[in-house]
Amino acid sequence: MKPIAIILSLALTGMAVPASAHHSAARFDFTIRDAKVTGVVKEFKVANPHTKIVLMVSDDKGTRDVEFEGHSRNNYYRAGWRPALVSVGDTITLLTAPLKSGEDGDYALRVIAQDGTEF
Amino acid sequence: MNRTDHHIRRRLTYRSLKGCGVAVALLCLAASGAGAADSPPDFTGIWRGMRSNGNPDYVRGWPKDAPLREDAKRQRAAYHALVDPKGETPGGWCVGTGMPGSLLESGGYPMEIIQKPDQITVIYEAHTEVRRIYISGPKAHIADEDLFATRNGHSVGHWEGDTLVVQTDHLKTQLDQTAIHSANAVITTRYHLGKTEEGKRILTAKLTMTDPDFYTEPVTVTKTWVEADPETRMMLYECTEPAWDEHLDALRAAAD
Repeated sequence: MKPIAIILSLALTGMAVPASAHHSAARFDFTIRDAKVTGVVKEFKVANPHTKIVLMVSDDKGTRDVEFEGHSRNNYYRAGWRPALVSVGDTITLLTAPLKSGEDGDYALRVIAQDGTEF
Repeated sequence: MNRTDHHIRRRLTYRSLKGCGVAVALLCLAASGAGAADSPPDFTGIWRGMRSNGNPDYVRGWPKDAPLREDAKRQRAAYHALVDPKGETPGGWCVGTGMPGSLLESGGYPMEIIQKPDQITVIYEAHTEVRRIYISGPKAHIADEDLFATRNGHSVGHWEGDTLVVQTDHLKTQLDQTAIHSANAVITTRYHLGKTEEGKRILTAKLTMTDPDFYTEPVTVTKTWVEADPETRMMLYECTEPAWDEHLDALRAAAD
């Protein structure tokens, strides 16, 4: 699925999130679509309505675990994700829309897997 | 044509055919207009919503200036005052949009149509919303007292030539979608096939929602889909599974 289609999908699902999370799409600054965050995968749970990604990130703020929200499983699949592409322990990069608050926990618009595959 | 008119037409068609001899049956079919219904176009396939032209006058396929009554505006404002501060949405609770949003907003996700003579099944991948459009047989004539309101309502269709005309009613009042409506809303959708310049099939739906409780006049919008590439497959949209997994984890933790 092309990025524009995924954006449409986000809109139609009302930026759906897992019932246990109830996050708001309004938290993210979608005018920025290419913030880069690199880290080591601690959890990569591809699911509907949204994917949960936990990376161990090291930067100026120190080393910590950061949880990200991502597209639905259906959309990541159509963008090229396959189950074997990302494993715990891999180093991956996310292209994200950051939180408006500036806190950790961006929205993962794209993923660059350890082997360079982007979806 | 409303449902009563449609039923009358069907009865007249039957009576007129009864009066025909076998030798002229085909002529009678053509004259009664029933011939087209015997070989309707086939909508079966996987369809993708065609991108709109970004018309700023519409949100999710619905006009921003839809003629809402003042009371409906107040109800909508109260709903948004309740949910917007936390960004709550039905989708966030794995609840589908419901009509007409399921039809208008299938956007980035595909839609599959499975057509049989007596029933057309529409599956919207997002939230696995399903609409069954009954064309003939007992399910096309369910008594009102046996129906209840749902988000996607009850749909009965008939063919007018090559156009499928569907009436959807028994809808729940919904303030939680873009095209808000009352429980008395009735949606009439006219579907027909066409082709792109490249020869791909397109499906167009002209939808009119009539809801005197919420709107001062009927609202009509159009939605178009293009046949998906052959390799496109519908996927399950399992949505509540993460919540169930978390619940199981909690049960296991409590049992330890």
